[in-house]
Amino acid sequence: MLGDSSRRGVVLSTTSTVVVLAVLVGIFLLAPGSAQVRHTFFNPADMWQSFVGDPKAGYYSVGAALWLNIRMFVAAEILILIFALIVAVIRQSTGPVLLPLRVAATVYVDVARGVPLILIIFALGYGLPALQLTVISDQSAAVYGVAALVLSYSAYVAEVYRAGINSVHRSQVAAARSLGLSQGASMRYVILPQAIRNIIPPLLNDFISLQKDTAQVGLLGAIEANKAAEIYSSTVFNYSSYVVAAILFLALTIPLARFTDHLIRRDQARRLAGAGQLWAERARFPFPVRGERKRCGSRGCASRSARTRCSAGWTWTWPRTRSSA
Amino acid sequence: MRQMTVAAMAAIAVLAASAGLAGCASESSSSSAASGTSSSAAASASAASCSNSAIQSQLYAKGMLTVATDKPVYPPWFVNNKPTNGQGYESAVAYAVAAQLGFSKSQVTWAYEPFNSSYAPGPKKFDFDINEISYSAARAQAVTFSDSYYDVQQALVALKNSPIVTKHSPADLKTYVFGDQVGTTSLQFINSQIQPSQTPKVFETLNDVKQALQTKQIAALVTDTPTAEFITTEIPGSVVVAQFPSTGEHYGLLFAKGNQLVTCVNKALATLKSNGTLAKLTAQYLKDFTSVPTIQP
Repeated sequence: MLGDSSRRGVVLSTTSTVVVLAVLVGIFLLAPGSAQVRHTFFNPADMWQSFVGDPKAGYYSVGAALWLNIRMFVAAEILILIFALIVAVIRQSTGPVLLPLRVAATVYVDVARGVPLILIIFALGYGLPALQLTVISDQSAAVYGVAALVLSYSAYVAEVYRAGINSVHRSQVAAARSLGLSQGASMRYVILPQAIRNIIPPLLNDFISLQKDTAQVGLLGAIEANKAAEIYSSTVFNYSSYVVAAILFLALTIPLARFTDHLIRRDQARRLAGAGQLWAERARFPFPVRGERKRCGSRGCASRSARTRCSAGWTWTWPRTRSSA
Repeated sequence: MRQMTVAAMAAIAVLAASAGLAGCASESSSSSAASGTSSSAAASASAASCSNSAIQSQLYAKGMLTVATDKPVYPPWFVNNKPTNGQGYESAVAYAVAAQLGFSKSQVTWAYEPFNSSYAPGPKKFDFDINEISYSAARAQAVTFSDSYYDVQQALVALKNSPIVTKHSPADLKTYVFGDQVGTTSLQFINSQIQPSQTPKVFETLNDVKQALQTKQIAALVTDTPTAEFITTEIPGSVVVAQFPSTGEHYGLLFAKGNQLVTCVNKALATLKSNGTLAKLTAQYLKDFTSVPTIQP
């Protein structure tokens, strides 16, 4: 089944993995302060105690506190997807009447991306209650935290959306408009469906980052997983609780990362439905095929994205998009 | 695929082996360390010489007593955010201990040590840390504490016109949202003594707790009585509602685990207690706090 060379490869890769791991583990275990470090960061008893918690001893369950992170994350994610889309569409709009909105959206994106999240959290978490308004001023810390996350992340996600919208070839808009669709309808039915498919991987990347940043809401006094870990650590003087929080966050983010990979693979397969043959050849010869290169160059590359596609060896999409224009 | 599986299995095998090794290593090292410290601690206690020259070998920096605390520091523990001025209860206690050990004022240096890293493993950058750190048995597994230099009572700070100022029977207290600073023993006190129905809020710094009180995110903040008194001078319209009876909580100086200097510092503290110095410093810096009424949690 396996050829000689591939069997040799297996042996070599296994050996090198084992040796590297053994050396790293050996350095860690033989270091003079190893026992103390292991006790402080990886003590099973402390990890378990911080996981289950004991409020009367002065600390909360890190595991239970994670539930707050999950709720904040899900709420924030849904709101971000909606809010950021609105911002992106406003920024992409062309009507002269919408200029004030466009300016506002641009200023918002610039400011929200530039200001540290921690300041937005403090501003909303301490500022809004201080205003003493009726509904706005008596929400829980988690609500202000989610609002801050939505404000901050929507700016990033709006830009991701915009990149996605720009990645759809202009000929698509032209085609849609020539079919009689209004500008709004062509955005809704032609551009966005293609754009969103393109941006799912970067979107999920932002959401993995969002999951971890829910920990910053702990600054407002809400007891989420990281805060619970900090409370345990400072109560008992042992950092193992942070390792527990890290493991729990990993348990959330790794499945999402794998899901992203899965989506990318599925999307590639779907796009290549008509060009699977060419793709297979590409995989074997990962450099541009001459004829295609020439075709692209001789017609000139209309847009920057088209140029990028040419140089990245994606010219197989070129004839299709050209023909649709 | 096959290749990956083999590599993964090998990695798991190595990890399992190392875990086994780790188990053995930690057992042997911890038991030897334990026996080592107990015997040497006994030896130094019996040697019982706490003269300035006798303790030189135990110091972080030769000829100097290095005392650590956080930044910023607050009254009444420190004055004007300057540990070096000898004013404020903790600064005065540190210099009094130093004098007992034969250090002049100029032989005391101050190091900056944030609370969260004061209990990190590894060598410490100070001889002892004085930062309103409460003793507990669990904490004493990671660091060594001196005997008490201040016995702590917890107190409630609230805004003057809030309901908790008048309604604070044990049953009423359970209905409020409390706040405290992370790492303080106040959280333990709230949950074990007051037992409120709503989860308390835990903030990063004392300033954040104060902010939360001012913006009515919490009904009251819980902290030690001297700090509570100080907060009322900072937040306009706030008042110390009451203090709670002592639970035996006390502040101790924090040493690296197994630091033998603690024996001599404890002796110094005992002298300061018996000759009335601690009582005098308490009267000088913390005297307002005897007037606060005591209520049951």
